[in-house]
Amino acid sequence: MSDPKTQSQRKWRVTRRGFLIGAGATGAALAIGVAVGRRPFYRFIAGMASGMSAENMAVGGLDNDPFTWIEILPDNEITIYISKVEMGQGVHTSIAQMAAEELGVRWDQLTIRQSGSLRGPNTNTGGSTSVSSTYVPVRQAAAMMREMLILKAAEKMGVPAADLEAKEAAIYVKANPNESMTYGEVVDDVTEWPEIDVETIELKPSSEFEFIGKSLPRVDFESKLTGTAIYGYDVQVEGMLYGAVARPPTIGATMQSARAGDAADMPGAVQVVIDEEARFAGVVARTRLQAQAAVRALDIEWDEGRLWQQEELEALLSFENERDGYTIQEDGDAASVIGDEPTVSAEYFTPFAAHAHLEPQAAMADVQADSVTIYCATQAQGTIQSEVSSLTGIEPENINVVPTYLGGGFGRRLNTEVANEAVRLSQAVGAPVHVGWFRVEDMRNGYFRPPTRSQMSARLENGRISAINHDHASGPVAFPFFPTPMQFVMGTDIGSWRGAFNFYQGIENRRFTTWLIDFPIRTGWWRGLGLLANVFATESFMDELAYTAQVDPLQFRLNHLGSDPFSERMRGVLMAAAAQAHWGEALPEGHAHGIACATDVDTVVAQVVELSLDETSGEIQIHKVTCAVDAGLFINPDGAIAQTEGAIIMGLSSTLIEEITVRNGAVEADNFGRYPLMTIDRTPEIEVILLESDGQPRGMGEPPMGPIAAAVGNAFFALTGTRLRRLPFKPEYVLEAVAS
Amino acid sequence: MELRINGQTYEVDEAYESGNLLWVLRDNLGLMGTRFGCGAGFCGSCTVHVDGVATRACMTAVQAVVGTEIRTIEGLASPEGELHPVQQAFIDKQVPQCAWCMSGQIMQAVAFLEETSNPTEEEIVEAMKENYCRCGCYVRIKDAVSTAADVMAQNKTTVGAA
Repeated sequence: MSDPKTQSQRKWRVTRRGFLIGAGATGAALAIGVAVGRRPFYRFIAGMASGMSAENMAVGGLDNDPFTWIEILPDNEITIYISKVEMGQGVHTSIAQMAAEELGVRWDQLTIRQSGSLRGPNTNTGGSTSVSSTYVPVRQAAAMMREMLILKAAEKMGVPAADLEAKEAAIYVKANPNESMTYGEVVDDVTEWPEIDVETIELKPSSEFEFIGKSLPRVDFESKLTGTAIYGYDVQVEGMLYGAVARPPTIGATMQSARAGDAADMPGAVQVVIDEEARFAGVVARTRLQAQAAVRALDIEWDEGRLWQQEELEALLSFENERDGYTIQEDGDAASVIGDEPTVSAEYFTPFAAHAHLEPQAAMADVQADSVTIYCATQAQGTIQSEVSSLTGIEPENINVVPTYLGGGFGRRLNTEVANEAVRLSQAVGAPVHVGWFRVEDMRNGYFRPPTRSQMSARLENGRISAINHDHASGPVAFPFFPTPMQFVMGTDIGSWRGAFNFYQGIENRRFTTWLIDFPIRTGWWRGLGLLANVFATESFMDELAYTAQVDPLQFRLNHLGSDPFSERMRGVLMAAAAQAHWGEALPEGHAHGIACATDVDTVVAQVVELSLDETSGEIQIHKVTCAVDAGLFINPDGAIAQTEGAIIMGLSSTLIEEITVRNGAVEADNFGRYPLMTIDRTPEIEVILLESDGQPRGMGEPPMGPIAAAVGNAFFALTGTRLRRLPFKPEYVLEAVAS
Repeated sequence: MELRINGQTYEVDEAYESGNLLWVLRDNLGLMGTRFGCGAGFCGSCTVHVDGVATRACMTAVQAVVGTEIRTIEGLASPEGELHPVQQAFIDKQVPQCAWCMSGQIMQAVAFLEETSNPTEEEIVEAMKENYCRCGCYVRIKDAVSTAADVMAQNKTTVGAA
């Protein structure tokens, strides 16, 4: 990683055609940046710089800051700088594949690097959108760069551009391949670049793809497997000290007063930092353990607030609430068709869950008089930048947020309070400070996936659903991170009901209403948002209806799909997963199949689970998960399979094991002893089938989590005749359910 | 206080002498490849070798490992940069996602395979079952450890034949 202090902040100017040219620079490099705005809008930025790399080029005054830069230096060094962060999903590899497709290079000629906030401050990484939102603009930027290089080479070589071609990072004369210039030679000593209208550039047809659709190896693995990759917890700079912060003892606690107590005299303590108004107390020390020990010596009075119990929190999930329910979906008149006597009704519950990313929250901040440098494992460098600007009064353009690799994200790093803590401590002590949370801090002081309650009811007529109603209550997911006025505009929290929208168009009367419940404990982003929890309810209930109607659960689903392209894609994944899993065929004694499907970010997923039950222990054993996914187009098929496998494992962990509970006002879990995760010995065989329906890439990070909990519950019902309506399916709950 | 790590001798800062091996490796000596996950021995992210035995650095007092040979992920590849067969298998099978747990997974697997040749799948699962991977790379971990076992067995045979 380059030293951020040496990064200058060169302003660029936008030319008439929307390019951005490095002001006053003399030519020694070519860099193009591409930005995506709110609408499918993009802007290209071309620039030249003298002896500096694109990483150092700051962009000021643009509506949309570039999220990806492609840079060529005179020594033919070609680098792609990506502001999307790498948290395991392989986005650096995927975006590089898209760029390489149009750039005219070999894969091994590319260097891929993370870029800092000075060149892409508004980027968030999340929501399974990184590939779908960049698929066209990144290829266009690369194609434009290639065309600019051809035009410039034509000028330098005195050959018509039409007679030239770009490949392997060089421009060749088609008729005479011995005559060529490397990209670096083309770029060298150029001060004026031709401007090209991007609309005139034709992108490669998919039949000619060399990189897209290939399972190229991930670009970040060698450093990660030799221990040299730098994550947030690993950042070390000269003169760095360690910080730790006092944490509230209960979920509702407020700091009444804070005094240094004995903290300042503790071994290694450098400075006690207290801001009562901000309810902040921390210590800077020479070592991490010294900082943590000194924090415990602070003299802090807490008002513990109401000492909440788990049952009280769950009771908040009520449909009789001050805030009205918000009807998201209303087709026909479900209420009157169902009337007072639904054919089937059922209620489902899911608990709080933690992200439990294995690298705890971590950041390093170095606050100077008029600038701040922050290294952080974050999904939202822009959020850090604006928060730190408010905190310090320093202008955002002087705050450089450098994302490191992330030891897991899962939505927890869209809000990284740890960066603010490091900033407060660094500012107070006048030195760089690293703050890394301990596991107990991470387990108790983050935000959680909110609990949900779903009341489902439906009317069956002649083996079909004539009407279905879903009343849904959830804690907030997206709202806590949006300004209040935006909440009014949106009306309802898009995160909390994600995945709950009924997509069975064959059902004439459908109603879905959601109640947003405020909890005295923070809830928020979690992989897939409400997806896993909500599909657990909707697809378990679909299964209940199938059994009541005495129709095969696969056939029952197919019967209720529509005939539009979306429904055809859903039908495709259902059929593919079922066929591969030999749905309907005999299984070993004591085994059973369950099926479920879901959609998220327009990706469709179906899963068939094969399981058995240890009737003595109550432990469910998952033997196999067969999953079919249609994301339109897969940039890196093996990467998509890896995301699917991982989402299934994380989803099984939620289904079988994980729940956060509160006792006497405090989160009970303090570490993995009381919040265990899925392990290799419980991992089933996983078979993934990728379907490409229409050549348009969609998201892959979250969708495969959708069906898993319902598919397990449905298989459990097929095996035992007992319906599990509450996550997680822990052995004691399973035994109790079977016994009753 | 001195420690032997990856064949080299390191001087430990006095402030770290009373703590555990994890923070000495990371914060004092800058050997960041040994990762911190839980600090309580649950997750295995900090697994290193102490005299060849897979050991949780977060639960190991520095005092207790003076005079031992410690090996971390940084010491696994050959000095020429040739990856250990387990590292190579993890790349070949494209195992990791975020990879924060992977140093621990690899050190756990190497210690196991140095003791056990031709392991069964059950033995691999048994050896690896206390290493968490939140991204859920378990299917591939199983596959890669099995592949590495084959490669290591083959290398042994080749060396024997020579």
